[in-house]
Amino acid sequence: MPLRLLKFAFSREYPETRMFRQPDRLQSSYDAVIIGGGGHGLAAAYYLARDYGMTHVAVLEKGYLGGGNTGRNTTIIRSNYLTPEGVKFYNESMRLWQDLSQDFDLNLFYSNRGHFTLAHTDAAVRTMRWRAEVNKHYGIASELVDPETIQKACPLMDLTCAGHAPVLGALYHAPGSIARHDAVAWGYGRGADRRGVEIHQQTEVLGITVRSGKVTGVETNRGSISTSRVLCAVAGFTPRILRLVGLRSPLYIHPLQAMVSEPMKPWLDPIIVSGSLHVYVSQTARGELVMGASLDPYELHATRSTLEFAEGLAAHMLDLFPCLSHVKVVRQWAGIADMTPDFAPIMGKTPISGFYLDAGWGTWGFKATPVSGKTMAYTIAHDRPHPLIESFALSRFANYELVGEKGAASVGH
Amino acid sequence: MKLIPCPINGLRPVGEFVYGGEVRPMPDPNAVDDDTWASYVFNRTGAPGVKQEWWCHSPSNTWFIVERNTLTDEIMQSYLYDEMRTI
Amino acid sequence: MNTPLRLSPIHDLLQSLPGNWQAINGMPVLTVSPPTTSPLILTDRSCLTRFGVKGANAADWLASQGLTIPDRPNSWCPLPNPSAGIIARLGLSEFLIEDSLSSRLAPQLAMACQTPPAKVYPVLRQDLAIALSGPATHELLQQTCNLNFRALILADRPILLTSLIGVVVTLLPGEHNGHPFYRLWCDGTFGNYLWQTLVAIATEFGGTITNVEL
Repeated sequence: MPLRLLKFAFSREYPETRMFRQPDRLQSSYDAVIIGGGGHGLAAAYYLARDYGMTHVAVLEKGYLGGGNTGRNTTIIRSNYLTPEGVKFYNESMRLWQDLSQDFDLNLFYSNRGHFTLAHTDAAVRTMRWRAEVNKHYGIASELVDPETIQKACPLMDLTCAGHAPVLGALYHAPGSIARHDAVAWGYGRGADRRGVEIHQQTEVLGITVRSGKVTGVETNRGSISTSRVLCAVAGFTPRILRLVGLRSPLYIHPLQAMVSEPMKPWLDPIIVSGSLHVYVSQTARGELVMGASLDPYELHATRSTLEFAEGLAAHMLDLFPCLSHVKVVRQWAGIADMTPDFAPIMGKTPISGFYLDAGWGTWGFKATPVSGKTMAYTIAHDRPHPLIESFALSRFANYELVGEKGAASVGH
Repeated sequence: MKLIPCPINGLRPVGEFVYGGEVRPMPDPNAVDDDTWASYVFNRTGAPGVKQEWWCHSPSNTWFIVERNTLTDEIMQSYLYDEMRTI
Repeated sequence: MNTPLRLSPIHDLLQSLPGNWQAINGMPVLTVSPPTTSPLILTDRSCLTRFGVKGANAADWLASQGLTIPDRPNSWCPLPNPSAGIIARLGLSEFLIEDSLSSRLAPQLAMACQTPPAKVYPVLRQDLAIALSGPATHELLQQTCNLNFRALILADRPILLTSLIGVVVTLLPGEHNGHPFYRLWCDGTFGNYLWQTLVAIATEFGGTITNVEL
């Protein structure tokens, strides 16, 4: 046990300072305003301050820090995507994840587990082989493995899936990991705060002023700000912000639900994903199973939970792991996912000068937190898209240059 | 459990339905420019509000229109396409 | 027995049951004498002949064939005597005609519909057709379906298009000897799953399985 933990035992007051300051009022102007105090927005603020010396920046959060999809995802980190653009981008994120705990001086509980995407059909095996080849070409550990290998890594799995959908193989991705999602937001928030960035919670953006195609300011429930650069990093709320500046996008909003089981002794080391069964699951350091499934079937801008989801996911979990039939579900929740037609994000510049977009993160945003922060910071600082995100521009739709990433979505949404 | 009123089959659980997305009138492909067409193909009204949506009761394969508030998930009314109304 | 013309979707599942096999309407049928008292009886009625038709002009076409058709969506009426078959209106413009054991109307309609007029489309019906009966029928339905069947008014002759354990089914609720009697149709390819699951639940109630009652 590190010695510094002892001070928590002997001190009457909480011995640590707060993770970040709570400024009591907004300044009248900032060099840049970031809308959205989730992982992506805070990461962008962090890299803007650390790498480009832009510290006169405000992060505006309508609720509380990390309270959106950053704190609602299932924390899986991987880079075994399908398109060259996606693979390069997510692989850079994996690289950044490795030493983030050192960077922050904060334990992110980053835990390398290995990631199996199960194939239950010949068609799925073909897609896995394709993904493995694309991945290997870009130097990513990714291979097709046989059922024996899966059984060895996960002895409690029923590979016949009760006879419904026998497992034929899997795409194995050794670097697949999980991390503590709240700590990621706190780490980026604290890092940005220490460098002078202001984080304003309970601050809702009500309007964005645009003059002659250029951003000039932001209206909030706590006053007006003048600024020439605005980053929108608000996931499921993106269409509402875009409405303020009169932009249209292909984003459509569906809830994505997840749930956790009661804690158990460690028995599931790898992360298991099955597209056919609509299941992804990993076991946390606390012993809970974190489980997710596919998107809710219709548009909704609310984080309500449904019994249909818990029932369906439990049924599929039992196909894979019949031994869990007496395990209880202890929590269930939802996030609001901003989906794109090609399952790739929308990043970079927009037709409005000074208005930058980091959106379309649907069900795949958490793993990209570091790299999206880094590339968006570059984009804002240079007013030019980072080379890694050029193909993710909003304009790709009008040009019919989509980045078909659906084949690498963890489950068939 | 969410219940959806089907104009033919009555009030049924949401599990019996398939969501078909917002009603979006198609512009004349021969009359519009490329940008308008691309906008029709890809862009959506992503922000919440009361929308007219296609739903299908799958056991009877009945397609119909639902007026629903996508923020609160309240259903205002439902009717067959032949009785299409403006909101 | 020669190679049969038709097979019940659950033909293989019935092989282990005791009883006599005989051909009815070209389909091998297991005949079992129905028990007089059982809380739940499952009967395979797939051997009955049936005919489906849909389209905007389907109702007019059926009327031109001399049939009285149900005037409301999702309702049924009996076929003209001496048949004891039924004609069901599924939604607005689709119809299902099923014969009794003694009538042959459905094959005649199928012949007449070989060159159908505009907006009349014959529907191939290779259903699993079963009947659920006995005092525990509603308990079985409660476990497998979201609808409240007790609230139905049988005098209205309702037809229900719904899903049962995730399978799309057509249900015709009725009564027989003071107990519920439901006829059920589903796509034959889901037959094994539906039948096995219903049998598993019925067995818990002490139910029995029969084939078509003669």
